[in-house]
Amino acid sequence: MGYSELQVTSNFSFLRGASHPEELVEQAAKFGLSAVAITDRNTLAGIVRAHVAARGKELQFIPGCRLDLLDGSSLLAYPTDREAYGRLSALLTLGNLRAEKGECFLYKADVYAHAKGMKFIVVPPAGLNAAFGFEDVFREELGNYKEAFGGELYLAASRSYGGDDAKLLFRLSQLGGRIGVPLVATNDVHYHEPARRELQDVLTCTREKCTIQTAGYRLHANAERHMKPVEEMRRLFRQYPDAIRRTQEITEACQFSLATLQYVYPEELTSEGRTPQEELTVLAWAGAKERFGIAIPESIKTAIIHELGFIAQMNYASYFLTVYDIVRYARGENILCQGRGSAANSTVCYCLGITAVNPTKIELLFERFISSARNEPPDIDVDFEHERREEVIQYVYRKYGRDRAAIVATVTQERQKGAIRDVGRAMGLSVDMLNLLSGAIGEFTAKGLGDDRIRELGLNPADGHLRKVLELTGQLIGFPRQLGQHTGGFVITQGKLSDLCPIMNARMEDRTTIEWNKDDIDALGFLKIDVLALGMLTCIRKAFDLARQHYGLELTLANIPQDDPAVYAMISHAETIGVFQIESRAQMAMLPRLRPRCFYDLVIEVAIVRPGPIQGDMVHPYLRRRNGEEPVEYPSKELEDILGKTLGVPLFQEQAMKIAIVAAGFTPSEADELRRAMATFKSVGVVSRFGEKLVNGMMARGYTQEYAHRIFKQLEGFGSYGFPESHAASFALLVYVSSWLKCYYPDVFATALLNSMPMGFYQPAQIIIDARKNGVEVRPVDVNTSGWDNLLEKRRDRYYAIRLGFRQVKGLREEEMELLVKNRGEGYMNVSALVDAGVPVAALEKLADADGFRSMGLDRRRALWEVSALADQPVALFSGQPSESVLEERVPLPEMSAAEQVVQDYAATSLSLKAHPVSFVREKLGLLRVLALKDLAGCRDGAFVKVAGLVLVRQRPGTASGVCFITIEDESGFANLVVFQGIFDKYRKTILQSRLLMVEGKLQKEGEVVHVVVQRCHNLSGMLRQMVERKEEAPTLFGGEEKVFDKGRNFR
Amino acid sequence: MHQRFVTIWFRHLVTDWWVLRRPALKDQPFVLAGPERGRMVIRAANGFAQSEGIGVGMVVADARAMLPGLEVLDDKPERAVTLLRKLGEWCIRYTPLVAVDLPDGLILDVTGCAHLWGGEEPYLRQILTRLRTAGYDVRGGMADTIGAARAIARFGKRGSIVETGRQLDALLPLPPAALRLEEGILLRLRKLGLFTIQDFVRMPRSVLRRRFGTELLYRIDQAMGRKVEMPEPLQPPEAYRERLPCPEPIVTATGIGIALRRLLDIICERLVKEGKGLRSALFMCYRIDGKLEQIDIGTNRPSRNASHLFKLFELKIPTIEPALGIELFVLEAPKVEEVSPLQETIWGGTGGLEDVNVAELLDRLTGRLGKDIIHRFLPDEHYWPERSFKEAAHLEEKPTLSWPVDRPRPIRLLTRPEPVEVAAPIPDYPPMLFRYRGKVHKIIRADGPERIEREWWLEQGPHRDYYRVEDEEGRRYWIYRSGHYTGENPHGWFLHGFFA
Repeated sequence: MGYSELQVTSNFSFLRGASHPEELVEQAAKFGLSAVAITDRNTLAGIVRAHVAARGKELQFIPGCRLDLLDGSSLLAYPTDREAYGRLSALLTLGNLRAEKGECFLYKADVYAHAKGMKFIVVPPAGLNAAFGFEDVFREELGNYKEAFGGELYLAASRSYGGDDAKLLFRLSQLGGRIGVPLVATNDVHYHEPARRELQDVLTCTREKCTIQTAGYRLHANAERHMKPVEEMRRLFRQYPDAIRRTQEITEACQFSLATLQYVYPEELTSEGRTPQEELTVLAWAGAKERFGIAIPESIKTAIIHELGFIAQMNYASYFLTVYDIVRYARGENILCQGRGSAANSTVCYCLGITAVNPTKIELLFERFISSARNEPPDIDVDFEHERREEVIQYVYRKYGRDRAAIVATVTQERQKGAIRDVGRAMGLSVDMLNLLSGAIGEFTAKGLGDDRIRELGLNPADGHLRKVLELTGQLIGFPRQLGQHTGGFVITQGKLSDLCPIMNARMEDRTTIEWNKDDIDALGFLKIDVLALGMLTCIRKAFDLARQHYGLELTLANIPQDDPAVYAMISHAETIGVFQIESRAQMAMLPRLRPRCFYDLVIEVAIVRPGPIQGDMVHPYLRRRNGEEPVEYPSKELEDILGKTLGVPLFQEQAMKIAIVAAGFTPSEADELRRAMATFKSVGVVSRFGEKLVNGMMARGYTQEYAHRIFKQLEGFGSYGFPESHAASFALLVYVSSWLKCYYPDVFATALLNSMPMGFYQPAQIIIDARKNGVEVRPVDVNTSGWDNLLEKRRDRYYAIRLGFRQVKGLREEEMELLVKNRGEGYMNVSALVDAGVPVAALEKLADADGFRSMGLDRRRALWEVSALADQPVALFSGQPSESVLEERVPLPEMSAAEQVVQDYAATSLSLKAHPVSFVREKLGLLRVLALKDLAGCRDGAFVKVAGLVLVRQRPGTASGVCFITIEDESGFANLVVFQGIFDKYRKTILQSRLLMVEGKLQKEGEVVHVVVQRCHNLSGMLRQMVERKEEAPTLFGGEEKVFDKGRNFR
Repeated sequence: MHQRFVTIWFRHLVTDWWVLRRPALKDQPFVLAGPERGRMVIRAANGFAQSEGIGVGMVVADARAMLPGLEVLDDKPERAVTLLRKLGEWCIRYTPLVAVDLPDGLILDVTGCAHLWGGEEPYLRQILTRLRTAGYDVRGGMADTIGAARAIARFGKRGSIVETGRQLDALLPLPPAALRLEEGILLRLRKLGLFTIQDFVRMPRSVLRRRFGTELLYRIDQAMGRKVEMPEPLQPPEAYRERLPCPEPIVTATGIGIALRRLLDIICERLVKEGKGLRSALFMCYRIDGKLEQIDIGTNRPSRNASHLFKLFELKIPTIEPALGIELFVLEAPKVEEVSPLQETIWGGTGGLEDVNVAELLDRLTGRLGKDIIHRFLPDEHYWPERSFKEAAHLEEKPTLSWPVDRPRPIRLLTRPEPVEVAAPIPDYPPMLFRYRGKVHKIIRADGPERIEREWWLEQGPHRDYYRVEDEEGRRYWIYRSGHYTGENPHGWFLHGFFA
């Protein structure tokens, strides 16, 4: 007689279960159980994983749920068929939508209403009362349940080794016998092996917010809640063999499998009674005519026919139509969007307007990466303007209804830092200790924190308590912690979505999500559409709008003139501040070396400065080959096909995957599994197992070990930041468009960029400096001319002038400034006119700080003087009469020096049009023999130089082994500094504290790329403090002037 | 007479205190931090840390990034107040009127005090020197007004004593912050370029009021002495201490007893008046030969019952060696606690722990038999039997939880489980008989097992399976098997307790 474990709490009952669903299934199969159920508390979030794990095993998996009710004892529920599963899912949906995210409010009545087709097990109280019996409430409740569920109801009996097991079982069978509810054996499993008890105790502490020392009876007394073999269960229930037999009864009744869930594409997308395929065909050809004119090139025709055939074969037409529908909506609302992903860069998608990447520009074999063997849905992500994506999301909800569309969940996992914090806190470590450990935990590997590292932290590696903490942390990493919402992945279905999976409220208003994440829905073959947000699209749309208003241009992503040499020349000189993707320090250093000349070069540029190629050490070989310093050769003929476009160096994720398949003998699904395993922090064992297989496979096929290791390294890098060619292509288009705008309309581009802030790598100050460098006039904020957004003002010469908007001033509110603009009329003559217009005094003070009253002839100090008296405005009866301040004698205020003005400009707007702060200390810097940054270009390679500037960005990328990159700025330009680990450690404080940093070092020059390799650092921030001269004896306030300058941003 | 004030500014009050407590901190940067909106924020930094650029308000993580070796200690917000009160009390030796100036200063009303120390200059110098010697980094100022003295202490550059009537001159070169103004006003003054007090102090009052509100004017007036400022003086707490000098030296026990009795009466009377009771008392006898004899007592709960206290002392009076005689008796109550008035109503008490008589009986027993004779146990929240109880720290201690009833525990638990020989079916069925101290007990009834795992964070080892068993005589025992049955360790059985 077999046994099925029917009460299993996995770690998807957050902070209760201490094993992954996979581990539980694995263990159940090993023990030879006939079936295992997962019954997490009011959720089905873990069942897909268990389902996947049970595939191909001699073990039936029963999806189930523990229903914790607000007004009664908990019930374990098991659907017996597809319909019952739908009801269970609907029941949970009901409970979820009633409650805040993370909770589920259910009542008995709800269960009764959804009970058809389900088996139930009542979870009895954990122990007997003082009279060795059950409370009346429970007896009565059991009677009610019996009435409602009839023969589908069972009573759970567990042996928890509590000391009174025999009595409890006896009482249960007595009660069950009286009411007619048969006993069924369960083991209330919380973990797959007894050793996990410790972790479970820690989780309990986290849940109860206590430490292990104070948890007391909140923990379990023993470790008996583990999965047990059939024999042992039979022994434990030898007096109640029927209870064991009934597990088989339930197992047989519950034949429902998740595999029978059928995803159906939404259907109402066709017109004139066409099938989806017909509709898609019509739309594709219509689009083709639009794009290519009447004479569609032959190659395009072939491609379209081929792709349509493939889509028909795979039955993907509905999917393409769904994406098309969303894109069409966005276009109708004038929301800019751009598709990316393997399927997105197809000719059909180009014709449908989903992507603007011209398929003639880049030959991506459409089905190359849709593996028909795996029957995986195609991948199209669509980026929308970040400010307006919510409109698109709400459109999807509106169109399909909340019962048919929802966002996919993301399972937030315990990462190293979170895990050590949770465990450490539960184990009663001090806050200091926690900080210390979580600071070091970045280096946590499969082997835990190394002994040396522990000693370095000043801790004792032999300390048992610490060992335990680290050991448990290792176990906890990868545990699900909560369900978040995916950044924009939608599941849309034909029928009710809640038939497939419970829906719940997201933390954000107006969002609903399902309980499964993208891996889960992938596994079940559901289809997901990613509706993502991209800041650059907002910027480009704003630029298009400005270009229409001021230059009369009707620009779209697709009609920007292509292959413009001037644009590529600009890119090659790394003049790319503000441009999408290629504006970062690392990208800018790459551009002059790569010198992109065509669209595909941009695709490579986007993909090459990524952890994958960098960790795989692919960047320099590529550059050398491109510059002809190294012959282009291929390790084998089979790799030539894959690597031809990238000169034999694998740069894209697809290439690395392909190599795994072709050169290491992986199956496509294995290759994919490998990438996933690395992406999701899954157990380290999987990764190293694959790594071995890859290296061995490649060596067996005659590749060198070194090459194989590089490929593996690269795969590892791709794991965390996968960057496939198909995405790079779509990004490259945006790179080109934004570069084109910057090249031809720097006024428009800078304005649009400023109006889309915050985004990108740079602060408004740098955008403005760059625009001025390109010949654009920038005018200051003024109450009589500015709007909330930055505006373009009438043309002076080649470009329009940018009028800075109120949004650049710290602390102003949009509504108030709109009021100011609305009531401006002929312009404000004096300060009190602004008050009469309804602008609050506090806002006026901010405007005065920003020096926005010049058009009235008031400098900032005088304006503030006037504004600060406004609080005393005559009111009520006297309003309208001149204020007393008009009559008071004019008090002389100290004049502001230019330097003071600049300091104040920075304090109010983080930028100054008057001068660069460094120019005021230039004289002093000159005495120190500090070079202006623009003069660096004239120095020879290897020269010893001294430079100084404001720190803009400090960056210590994980890929650069402790090297810190710093960008500094002075009145003449920028410079990039490279600080190696040793120097960084020595000058850590100086580097992190300085606002004005002076360094000495060696100039490194490689073509146009200039770096200063730092040898010594000095903090000159004090100079900024002294740039404002003042009367003696006046101590500085608030720690000094230098604080108004940006501290510089730190990136990893 | 003109009023004169001294203000003292403790520049690193709390960090200095830490250095005094842990001298090792003297030569290293350290900060005190506390949580604010989920982040650890620095509340105080010592001079070292400040010179490294670490300041108040910084997040600990940032400071650590700059200075990895930075020591971070927990800040207790009330510490500064306590410290200032203590220091203030110490200052009462210089003037009776001392007030705390939060967060880091003291105000001394020194009107008419300075001449006792030879003038203002030596007076102030002595106060500051003494504080500095004690380890505090202080600055001081003296003026006719608190405002001016405070300004000069904190912001003055030249000298720290402002002559009578010269406060305006002294303030002119100082920054507006010296006037104790709100941040908002300071910022505005600064933006207007008014960096020192002289830049604006002579402007028409209406002009200032319209722009900076009345606070600025009020503060100026305070500093100038146009508005009177009354600090709240610190009252030194009166010690519970009574003296009884004797005209004739006392040499007899009876004499000592009478003196003690009289002192107890006085102290108890005062305690009753203040609603307090003493937890410990010290009786000191000053002999004419200059030696000191003393005895002390402690009580289980606050008491002001003179005869009870006398009884406690009485036992120890014989230990006093009067020698040539005692000329002065002093009774001191170093530990005094509030007495809840509830106890006063008890007449014919219930005999419970609330009963004063019980407490007094316990006091007497302890006094006679010595400490650690009487124990009281409370439940402690642990499954592991040896740790499932704890000793009560004092009589008042209430159990935080009730004794668990769902898992029966023996009335007497052995301190160390004693091994027994057992015949039991495997793997985890109750035993059939066991031999304890040579006697064989046949088991008639049994219940279990109750499996209890060790508390893994404290110790490693096998779990225990406990059984409640009853032998043929009707006696019940609590026995357990250590760990799983393996066959290798047949003696893994122990007796751990007896049921009633």
